[in-house]
Amino acid sequence: METIKLRKITSLWIITVLFLFIVNIVLGIIMRLNQGEILHEQPATFYAHMTTHGLTQIGIWFVAGMTGINYLMERYLKTSYLANVVAMVLTVTGILMLWTSTYIGNFHAGWTFLYPLPLKIMWAKWATPLFLGSILVMGVGWLTWSVSMMTQILKKYPLTKALAWQHFRKNPTIQTPPFILISMITLIGIITCLLGAVLLLAMYAAEYFSNGAFVNDALLMKNLTYFFGHTIANEMLYLGLAVIYELFPEVGGRPKWKATWYVALAWNCTLVFILTAFFHHLYMDFVQPVGFQIVGQIASYMASLPAAGVTVFSVLVAVYRTSIKWSLTNLLFFIGVAGWVIGGLGAVIDVTITNNFVLHNTLWVPAHFHTYNALGNVLFSLAFFHWFSIQFSEKTDFEKLTKLKLTLLLIGGIGFLLAFYIGGAESMPRRYSNYPAEFPMAAPLAIGAAVFATIYLAAILIFFFQISKRCLNILFSSSSH
Amino acid sequence: MQNSILILFLVLAGMSALVFTFVYLSSKKAGKDEQGIPNPLKTRFWFLLILFVILGIFASVTIPRSPYFLFADETPVRVIHVSAMQFAFLMSDKAIDPKNPVGEASIELPANKLVEFRVTSLDVNHGFAIYDQSNRLIAQTQAMPGYVNRLRWKFKEPGNYTILCLEYCGMAHQVMRASLTIK
Ligand code: HEM
Ligand SMILES: [Cu+2]
Repeated sequence: METIKLRKITSLWIITVLFLFIVNIVLGIIMRLNQGEILHEQPATFYAHMTTHGLTQIGIWFVAGMTGINYLMERYLKTSYLANVVAMVLTVTGILMLWTSTYIGNFHAGWTFLYPLPLKIMWAKWATPLFLGSILVMGVGWLTWSVSMMTQILKKYPLTKALAWQHFRKNPTIQTPPFILISMITLIGIITCLLGAVLLLAMYAAEYFSNGAFVNDALLMKNLTYFFGHTIANEMLYLGLAVIYELFPEVGGRPKWKATWYVALAWNCTLVFILTAFFHHLYMDFVQPVGFQIVGQIASYMASLPAAGVTVFSVLVAVYRTSIKWSLTNLLFFIGVAGWVIGGLGAVIDVTITNNFVLHNTLWVPAHFHTYNALGNVLFSLAFFHWFSIQFSEKTDFEKLTKLKLTLLLIGGIGFLLAFYIGGAESMPRRYSNYPAEFPMAAPLAIGAAVFATIYLAAILIFFFQISKRCLNILFSSSSH
Repeated sequence: MQNSILILFLVLAGMSALVFTFVYLSSKKAGKDEQGIPNPLKTRFWFLLILFVILGIFASVTIPRSPYFLFADETPVRVIHVSAMQFAFLMSDKAIDPKNPVGEASIELPANKLVEFRVTSLDVNHGFAIYDQSNRLIAQTQAMPGYVNRLRWKFKEPGNYTILCLEYCGMAHQVMRASLTIK
């Protein structure tokens, strides 16, 4: 079973993530207010916010997923506390480096830092190596954590069992828990894309230190950038899903989910599709081989099948006409799955090349990815945070303000997202600090979005206070009850 | 195009929200020992098959219409060279020399004739996005250093078209623009 040390570091992760999330939402609201002409910042400052917000969000929701996996993994096997600590130290260091590069060094190349923009210095000269260094430091931390976790899994389950391949035969003698299967699949994806990041950073370093003797290929660098960026942003969602498989039936008092041949098949396929779907980021690069473009659309389509047919379907079946016990935890999971599905629909529309031709880099893009993050993955992690925080508490009024919190989250979230979707359908560009006169509706929409985002923020603040209070108790308690 | 995309999305999103609400309410009404649907495996199979078929139809209808294949077997009547740079577009009938880049002051193109834009960049990545007179995005490609993307297009109506940069390229990205006149 988990140790007190693990309990404490999990609490610390949760407080850190929620705190940074609040700061990040404030940055998001500032950006929307600037786009709404209520605030008047320098464009470079807006883009510094955008870069900081983007990478910090990716960072915190990735570690939030890992925290949940790590904590629940102890039900099955021993995890490394050291790796957990290393990940925390390096993540926090990385975030500090990032914020220094953007707010002191004024680095603002966007979180995807598309080559060669970071090397065209329009900020303090040291900010570029510091920003790239922040990715390296976080990447090494996450790689350590993921490799350690995978090693621990493989000590208990040989690879073929961890991937649940025995379920392809009739009557398997050993059962692979779905939680292990999904964690394993996701860890393979994470490690692969983090290795991609290491390669990408090495290419940057080679050019940076060569004094002009070596120049990278822009198309190759873009492929590598999205192999890393797209994949990590997607895998962090799957971390949240593993937690659902483990906790959703449990808190609802329903039978535990088992791996079957189709669950095994679905997740093994997911691995392949997830690693090739990133090609859809290069649809508008017509020089990219057409074969890759088509693979991009097909892999992206296919990735939705196992997700819808297995995960979403299982959640719906577990609820439909059953006497499931509802609580804040599984309500958050349930609503999160709905948000994930709806964001996924927005994504499937956008990965259709003919649609992407008129949606690429419009506000449709932040529209769909904010849907499955702000109303999907964030809720998965909040559910885990809430569930974890009440495990060691004597009080019983856990469900206080449930209705209020969920209502604020939904109203705020939907309003904030709709402004992005409408903006995207109106062809408004993403990543514009101010909108040109061609889009008279863009500023009012941005103001509306800021108002709704504030409502969403209110819900997150309540979550933060309630959950952190309990987590602080865990952190500073000496007993081990 | 974009309007039907938005409507399609809102309809699908609304339907999903309804399904989730309906399923949620069904559990509220369920008796103590109701056990849900009798044969989930079979339902799952049909659900997946239908989804697969729908996506398959979508893919086979849309992929052949991808921009890479647009007007592929026709010959353009005009070729416009586009060199993007922080934070402007240079456009010319002649190839643009990267060492001494100059563009023409204005570009006029014929309506309903095939034109080809050969788009590249002299510094970082940019986007070359064409907006029609009602400020709707109608076509785009990326401007990537070291590569030339060929975008073929037939403008249906005469008038003024705006070009905006659709790939984040630095602090003046939001004001990087150009225009075209279609006669
Ligand atoms: C209510 C909460 C949030 C608000 C108000 C917000 C706001 C924003 C805004 C205004 C932008 C810039 C959009 C543009 O014009 O291109 C943005 C970009 C972004 N957001 Fe959020 N956001 C929120 C939640 C999240 C969450 C939960 C994530 C989790 C992954 C996230 C990740 C990102 C990323 C990756 C970008 C792209 C940054 C870039 O273009 O470099 N956001 N957000
Ligand atoms: Cu540009």
